[in-house]
Amino acid sequence: MSELEKLHEAVIEGDWKAAAAATEAAIAAGVAPLLIVTGCLVPAMDEVGRRFECEEYFVPEMLLSARAMKASMAIVRPLLVATGAQPIGRVVIGTVKGDLHDIGKNLVASMLEGGGFEVIDLGADVAPERFIEAAASKNANLVALSALLTVTMTSMKTTIDAFQTAGLRDKVKIMVGGAPVTQQYADSIGADGYGESAGAAVALARKLVAA
Amino acid sequence: MRETSVSSRDRLRTALEHREPDRIPLDFGSTAVTGVHVSCVAALRRYYGLSPGPVKVHEPYQMLGLVEDDLRAAMGLDVTGVFPRKTMFGSSATDWKEWNFRGLDVLVPTDFRIKTEPNGDILIYPEGDETAAPSGRMPMGSAFFDTIVRQPPVDDEKLDPADNLEEFSPISAEDLDHIERSVRAVAASGYGVAASFGGTAFGDIALVPAPFLKNPKGIRDVTEWYISTRTRRGYIHSIFERQCQIGIENLARIHARIGDAVDCVFLCGTDFGTQTSSFCSVATFRELWFPYYKRVNDWVHANTAWKCFKHSCGSVERFFESFIEAGFDIINPVQCSAAGMEPGDLKRKYGSRLVFWGGGVDTQKTLPFGTPGEVREEVLRRCEIFAPGGGFVFNSIHNLQAGTPVENIVAMLDAVHQFNGVSHV
Repeated sequence: MSELEKLHEAVIEGDWKAAAAATEAAIAAGVAPLLIVTGCLVPAMDEVGRRFECEEYFVPEMLLSARAMKASMAIVRPLLVATGAQPIGRVVIGTVKGDLHDIGKNLVASMLEGGGFEVIDLGADVAPERFIEAAASKNANLVALSALLTVTMTSMKTTIDAFQTAGLRDKVKIMVGGAPVTQQYADSIGADGYGESAGAAVALARKLVAA
Repeated sequence: MRETSVSSRDRLRTALEHREPDRIPLDFGSTAVTGVHVSCVAALRRYYGLSPGPVKVHEPYQMLGLVEDDLRAAMGLDVTGVFPRKTMFGSSATDWKEWNFRGLDVLVPTDFRIKTEPNGDILIYPEGDETAAPSGRMPMGSAFFDTIVRQPPVDDEKLDPADNLEEFSPISAEDLDHIERSVRAVAASGYGVAASFGGTAFGDIALVPAPFLKNPKGIRDVTEWYISTRTRRGYIHSIFERQCQIGIENLARIHARIGDAVDCVFLCGTDFGTQTSSFCSVATFRELWFPYYKRVNDWVHANTAWKCFKHSCGSVERFFESFIEAGFDIINPVQCSAAGMEPGDLKRKYGSRLVFWGGGVDTQKTLPFGTPGEVREEVLRRCEIFAPGGGFVFNSIHNLQAGTPVENIVAMLDAVHQFNGVSHV
């Protein structure tokens, strides 16, 4: 089994120690950092997403695979930066103002990172101006907003409106998700897309950056 | 218009026995999962012309307001609650003080100790101890507290299940006295009684971070806990095993004091569902949770007349056969908005074996954002589906949330009363 195959398996099995070891071994063997991402981590996380969608995997398994993928990325990322390799998109992600729930947001962030995106995770309870500042300073082309509560869902609209006011609405695509959010709500607040699950969010993000 | 002499308690008991009562019994406020946000309680009191005095926040975590007898009567409710002595933040909810909650005068437990940060966020302290690290935060723009996770570094070599058992101990004399007093206070009311004693939830993710403890040890981070259900099963089993023993012993002590004076016991609020899926497979549920639920429920059924109340949000239809086999009698909140939770299917497949305590109206969309007409239509449709043959207690899908228009809450209540054939209660 090659080091990349071992890494692929480690991510799917959610073994972060094995993932880190396989990554180190692959680099030592001369595998290009970009190939580790595109040829291994991305398809591995796609497979994790597929298993989640068809309910072979559940939240604990997703969290474990995300942890393994991050262990690998922590080693690969500095090397990628050094080579000047570009991600397929830059996403600023966060749970909107007033909302501290972040499990769903963290899963989406991990799936996006594993899907080849550069992810700037602002955490939870993020004010509109912080989304705007991060999107502008990081030159992001995608913003992902999460909310769990009906009382904080309205902060999604406030955030989208703030991008409009700041003159940045045309610079980014904005996607939304979270338990109470629907496609209808996303449309009503002027979002560019709605993801029903972490897997759907990756497919949506790919579509939005390709548009 | 149809009036009857049936008491609320008899009405509830009939419904719990899967016989059709004279009317659908209604519950708002009897538990922390069928409750009403304090702002909604205040609005309802104004709407019904009741004394506007500050409402008691009996559960600060979700900012639930106490539904007093006068409001219960005005809303036409049938169930009252017996609550634990201490709140989610570990302070006693027995003595009260005034607090202005972002413009609304309320009463909070005397040991409710907070600090407002410069950005408007409110921090709350466990056991009212301001020298401890805060255990909850209510961000500006929210109306609820959320737990601040205080997770010591996890060293698998040193993990000891006893660290996750600090909150599970033999019930104190003070708690027993409180429960007995509370039960006596409601016993003669004529209302059905739902009791919450605590201690038998097994991994309720709201309780894992232990916002009621000053220095929680063990696994307290939400992500780490979920991961542990996969990678540290032996550790989790050890916690559940001991918790189960203590929980049953405590239920025995409680029953020795109050007998069958309560109708049902809210035993478990562990959520197994998400909006579109579940947190684990049925196989995992049966391996990790089922044995403990079954032991608790078997004890209850063998020794008391209490009905066993299980709460789980989300898409959980796949677990219903296991819930039934484990001995749960009642399922709440019946989140019909989640995947695979179509009300007609649920009633047809499980209606003779599980009481649906909830499912009356959606609180993610219809109730907070719909029109009174849309609320009314949904409520009537749900009543038509769930009411036949009993086994239905009307409640919205989870607590009435902050920001819900009072007109919609009243439209919901009026629709149930219309279905019940009563113009006013």
